[in-house]
Amino acid sequence: MIFCRKLEFRYPGESVALSFPEFSVEAGETVALIGPSGCGKTTLLNLISGILVPDEGVIEVGGEQIQSLELAARQSFRLRNIGLVPQNFELLDYLTVRENILLPLRLLDRGRIEKAHENRVEELAEKTGISPLLNKLPSRLSQGERQRAALCRGLVGKPPLILADEPTGNLDTDNQDRIVSLLLEEAGALKSSVIMITHEPSLYGRFDRVENVMSLRMEGGE
Amino acid sequence: MNWSGLFHLGSRYLAGNRTKTILLVSAFTLVWLLPAAITLLAGKVEEHLRSRADETPLVLGRAGSALELTFNALHFTKPEMATLPYREALKVAESGLAQAIPLYARFHAGSHSIVGTTFDYFRFREFDYAEGRAFLRMGECVVGSAVAQANEIGVGDYVISSPETLFDLAGVYPLKMTVCGVLESTGSPDDEAVFVDLKTTWIIEGLGHGHIAAAEAGEDERLETGNENVVRLNASVVEYNEITPETVESFHFHGEEEDNPVSAVIVVPFGAKEQALIKGRYAGVKDLSLVEPAAEMDELFETVFSVQRIVLGMLVLVGLATLALGLLTFLLSYRLRTGEFASLRHMGASPRMLKALIGFEAAFVFALSILLSVVLLWSLLSLAPTLIRLLVG
Repeated sequence: MIFCRKLEFRYPGESVALSFPEFSVEAGETVALIGPSGCGKTTLLNLISGILVPDEGVIEVGGEQIQSLELAARQSFRLRNIGLVPQNFELLDYLTVRENILLPLRLLDRGRIEKAHENRVEELAEKTGISPLLNKLPSRLSQGERQRAALCRGLVGKPPLILADEPTGNLDTDNQDRIVSLLLEEAGALKSSVIMITHEPSLYGRFDRVENVMSLRMEGGE
Repeated sequence: MNWSGLFHLGSRYLAGNRTKTILLVSAFTLVWLLPAAITLLAGKVEEHLRSRADETPLVLGRAGSALELTFNALHFTKPEMATLPYREALKVAESGLAQAIPLYARFHAGSHSIVGTTFDYFRFREFDYAEGRAFLRMGECVVGSAVAQANEIGVGDYVISSPETLFDLAGVYPLKMTVCGVLESTGSPDDEAVFVDLKTTWIIEGLGHGHIAAAEAGEDERLETGNENVVRLNASVVEYNEITPETVESFHFHGEEEDNPVSAVIVVPFGAKEQALIKGRYAGVKDLSLVEPAAEMDELFETVFSVQRIVLGMLVLVGLATLALGLLTFLLSYRLRTGEFASLRHMGASPRMLKALIGFEAAFVFALSILLSVVLLWSLLSLAPTLIRLLVG
């Protein structure tokens, strides 16, 4: 599903480059990415999702070498194949929870919202317990509710790859467990791969594999 | 990139930030509306005033403001202006150079001017009757279409003149006048006027009156003169406030009719030569003024348009400043929305789509403001006759 080789990336103005010699994830596999703050976990997710483009190396996702795609093609590829669950929710405050969840589908070329999409939203909201909140604005929601809404948005398009950046970072233990259970359950049903950044050791056992980014990367640069 | 998604996001953003949207739309609407409204309304007022002026060759009145004289004769405003004796109208008629149509537009019935004139005025303006006929005697009136409509009156109803001041016991008393005709609408100030015989206006002014015959007055209504052949009546004699076929004979004037006032005389020369002659005749007269309404309008609109040009220039500057502020608002909004756009980019929205989103929002605000200004302009133009009446009087 994912194959990264000899990845090298340097932030503008930074002298130190991040290098990932090799990293791969099988289709349907779930991986927990761990490591200290600033070690490059989020950077690796952003490289895999195509938000960042590596200076060197190859990133193959579902057979597509995304580093060689043009910006528009890369965006389009992400929209169709990757479900993102960011740490800070990234919900638009002027859209209702329902509209936020449907947003990735609206951004697609056709952008038409069909009954099946609506049903999918209802189903995800039911599973995450936010059904009564669907017509509310995000500003009226608690942190946990927002995170669940962001998770629903990441899953709504049934993507083959789900990238989650500390989606449980702001949650209490009960909610952490609920979110991860739902994420893995949905991924299992869709046979999607999951890469999730987490700092919560109690969650490690829920994943097929745990990768420490420090062991993945190799310090480079001058 | 899809249009429905763009429309959805853009419209939801504008609706979600409705205060900002309403302020921007209102500001831009004013930018488009004000210059357009001023230009169009000024054009309408000019058209209205000029058409009336072009139909009226010359106006004779007391020397003073030529513009006030023109407005009094053409629009029945400026009732307080100085009068001239009716004799002057007769002189014009006797000169054989022109037809003279006297007008006395000083009094009101509610918000409508009472215009004392002769039947010549009806012929001059080529009035058609929606109902009834012209006045045949004192105390009858012909009302314009707007007067009839506003007061829901017709032939056989009454119009009562308004007293000039409520507590002036020696002033103008209300006169009850019978409506004998209703004019077809002409789209001119005539629609708003109540036309009466010239003598009726003099009666309203108190220059003529009607009461029981002195010989029939009782002792209580007489003053002691010491001479049985001379009968003087005291103030207890009730004056008639309505001229009916029964009382019309009792109405009389105590001075010379020629000395009674008129506010203006419409002078209609019989030809170009006669016009030149009559203009020459009044050129050297100090206390009278013979004005050409069309020339007065030229002068008025020269001033109006020079002021309008200055106002429009200023409005353009204000408009440009408003547009610049609007643009600044969008640019600042773009900065404030960095997080939102980053989220959309992360999700898969291309930079082009984000630019299109901003463009859509700006275009929507512009389009809505233009649409709103067109609707308001259309409403304003449909109200133009009322506005012109308010502006012109």
